[in-house]
Amino acid sequence: MTLQDIVLSGQWVFLAYFVGINVGYLLQNVVAAFGIRRYLQTAEQYEAESVFSSLDIPISVVVPAFNESASIITSVKAMLQLEYPQYELIVVNDGSTDDTLEKLVEEFRMQAFPEAYRARVPCAEVRGIYKSTRQSNLRVVDKVNGGSKADASNAGINVARYPLVCVVDADSVLQPDALRRVVQPYLENPTTVAVGGTVRISNGCTVRQGFLEKVALPSNYLALVQVVEYLRAFLFGRMGWSPINGLLIISGAFGLFHKETLVEAGGYNPDAVGEDMELVLRLHRLMKAKRQPYRITFVPDPVCWTDAPTSLRDLKSQRVRWQHGLGQALALNKSLITNARGGAVSWVAIPFYLVFELFGPIVEVAGYLFIIICALMGWIAWPQAGIFLGLAIGLGILLSTSAIMLEELSFHMYPRFRQLALLYLIAIVENFGFRQLTAFWRLQGLIRWFRGGKHKWETLTRSANLADETKPAGPVN
Amino acid sequence: MDWLFRSDFDGITTAALWSIAAVLATTLILFAYTIALRVATILGQRRRARFIGIWRNVFANAMLSKDAAENCVLPRIGASDRTDLLEEWNHARSIVEGSAADNLIVLARRAGVPALALKRLNKRRIRPQILAVQTFGHLRDRERREIVRRLVDHDNTALSITAAVALVEIDADFAIPIIVPMIEKRRDWPKNRVSILLRMAGSERISEPMYRAIRSADDRNTTYLLQFAQLVDAEVLDALVNDLLRSSNDPGVLNAALKLVSGFSGVPRIAALTQHNAWFVRMQSAKVLGRIGQEEHLSLLEALLDDREWWVRYRAAQAITALPFLGPNHLRQMRDEQTDPYAADILQQAFAEVGLA
Repeated sequence: MTLQDIVLSGQWVFLAYFVGINVGYLLQNVVAAFGIRRYLQTAEQYEAESVFSSLDIPISVVVPAFNESASIITSVKAMLQLEYPQYELIVVNDGSTDDTLEKLVEEFRMQAFPEAYRARVPCAEVRGIYKSTRQSNLRVVDKVNGGSKADASNAGINVARYPLVCVVDADSVLQPDALRRVVQPYLENPTTVAVGGTVRISNGCTVRQGFLEKVALPSNYLALVQVVEYLRAFLFGRMGWSPINGLLIISGAFGLFHKETLVEAGGYNPDAVGEDMELVLRLHRLMKAKRQPYRITFVPDPVCWTDAPTSLRDLKSQRVRWQHGLGQALALNKSLITNARGGAVSWVAIPFYLVFELFGPIVEVAGYLFIIICALMGWIAWPQAGIFLGLAIGLGILLSTSAIMLEELSFHMYPRFRQLALLYLIAIVENFGFRQLTAFWRLQGLIRWFRGGKHKWETLTRSANLADETKPAGPVN
Repeated sequence: MDWLFRSDFDGITTAALWSIAAVLATTLILFAYTIALRVATILGQRRRARFIGIWRNVFANAMLSKDAAENCVLPRIGASDRTDLLEEWNHARSIVEGSAADNLIVLARRAGVPALALKRLNKRRIRPQILAVQTFGHLRDRERREIVRRLVDHDNTALSITAAVALVEIDADFAIPIIVPMIEKRRDWPKNRVSILLRMAGSERISEPMYRAIRSADDRNTTYLLQFAQLVDAEVLDALVNDLLRSSNDPGVLNAALKLVSGFSGVPRIAALTQHNAWFVRMQSAKVLGRIGQEEHLSLLEALLDDREWWVRYRAAQAITALPFLGPNHLRQMRDEQTDPYAADILQQAFAEVGLA
């Protein structure tokens, strides 16, 4: 085989990958557009007459917290004001080394409570359980640091009393009606075992008393790109998989689970890097093994706002971790891949994730190197190469444009023309630099997974918009 | 040497060129559509704000005075205002009852609301149809009763349940015998809406049909229907629960029936259920005995304190704590005498919850 043969074979591999991934995304787009349309048609009607009844299912909200001293009080106060008839709030202090626990005890007059604790899912030792004398539905679990959010979440699941468990990041800003929205699939279909909702970027927004007061776009370029990325990821990434019951991930920032199924599955895996995805895959595996009908579904409503990394260092750390988690989660649940009765999960979703999401960075980075080498060697027919490059960029812009259109069609959270223009600008600009950079980081994550790395609680530099309640984190408009 | 992207690629390059054109065209169409949506939203919001500013006053005056409803000068209704009128009127109508509701109906008839609703009923899209059906319900429009009745059977969940609610509003005596037998079949109907519908009809209308539906259902459907049984008349409910506790051995039915126990008549059977194989039946019976149990049931509850299920132990401990004939000293003594650590722990927790620890 000559060098020319190798290079020519290579170009067919890249072409096949290119066609596959884009056809996949475009199909997801179409499915998502119909799904959102159908969802809005009924949701709006129900909303008009929405009232709580005794048939609403009570929810345990679990908030794992590690060194969240700066924001925990504001977060808990906001979460105690959620619009839902019956819920309890369980804050899990995962051996914080700051004064997270002391602040909670003081602010909510917590008292040690002799609860008969039962460890149904594994977690590090629980040192004590506190009950608020001011808020009857608030408890704090104080435990030895388990080294991961999964471990802390499991402690919360162990003390949860209600049939549904909602696991929420301590630094997340929730929509006041978030629980009412995500509980809807459980009311409509009793076989539902897990529900995710749309997570949005809070950088640039004004947060007061733990609630979102004004939606705005961030001034930081990296955060701005992530706004468009999240629109794509949630509005068609998740919404595209949900109608075929092929959803493989529910964001760790906000997910609602049927508690007994969660316990039966063994809770979160404390050793998993991407514990949120690993759990959803395990739930699929469990339900397939039991051969019971089930739904893992997604509501497109923005229910939760989270702070996005604004420095290259933090963003890299996040992306490397996500890719590592993806590889590990798929490997831990590899039996799903070969499950002939696995339905859309085994036949469509996992193959897509394997080829395009997990191993995609290898092809993408190899493609960049391939082009550079061929260019240096003078092997490229530039007019033709330009056409393919233009097509790749054009498809990237099309997918982002479609996500922005879905956002406008559904929730139009960014009401000003200037915001819309900025989103379109980012949809174009992100194709030059940002995408390539994330491909390299994802490759690093893949390599880390191959080598087998260990995971700890992530400590990102936050824009602290929860701690500083009135100061917006630099809105651009 | 520039053979990359060249040899064997001519056809594909042409296809790529066409794809670029298609992608570009689609992107521009989506972009234009998004801008159009944005412009339409802004204009729509402005128009709606103007409309609401005018009509909310009209509705408010009509609610307060029959004379205003019958004789006020109606503002002009443009073609683009019609859906807003229906939505706003339905909103106003849904929050009032009595004479205010009657006055709004008079006003609606003057404004041509029934005809507007009828036009929307003939649309293909579901949303206008839902709005129309909701309007007929709020108008208590007996002329449309049969149309609404047919839509109760519609496959679309939102339209079907809205029609069911509307039918109750139009003629509850006619609606309930039709709707109650459908509840077990239409599991897609959101339970909270079913509950609203039954509450609207009133316990005097639903008690008998619900009793019959539950007694003729199989175990699975009985369990489902019992979720709504709390809305029936107390006497009927008591009889129903006692019947079920006596005749059924299905854990789901027993669990659901135990949740509805209010009287004392079934106590012996409930006491026996503390030994049931299904843990949730043991748990529910313990909970009920905490409310209606007597001294003779204390030993049964105490035996549940070392049950293998946490929830059974917990409810038994709570039940013991709630028994009116046990004083704090007796309770503490009971805790101190427990040899099983699970039993002692769970009693300690239950005591702490009521400030007894």
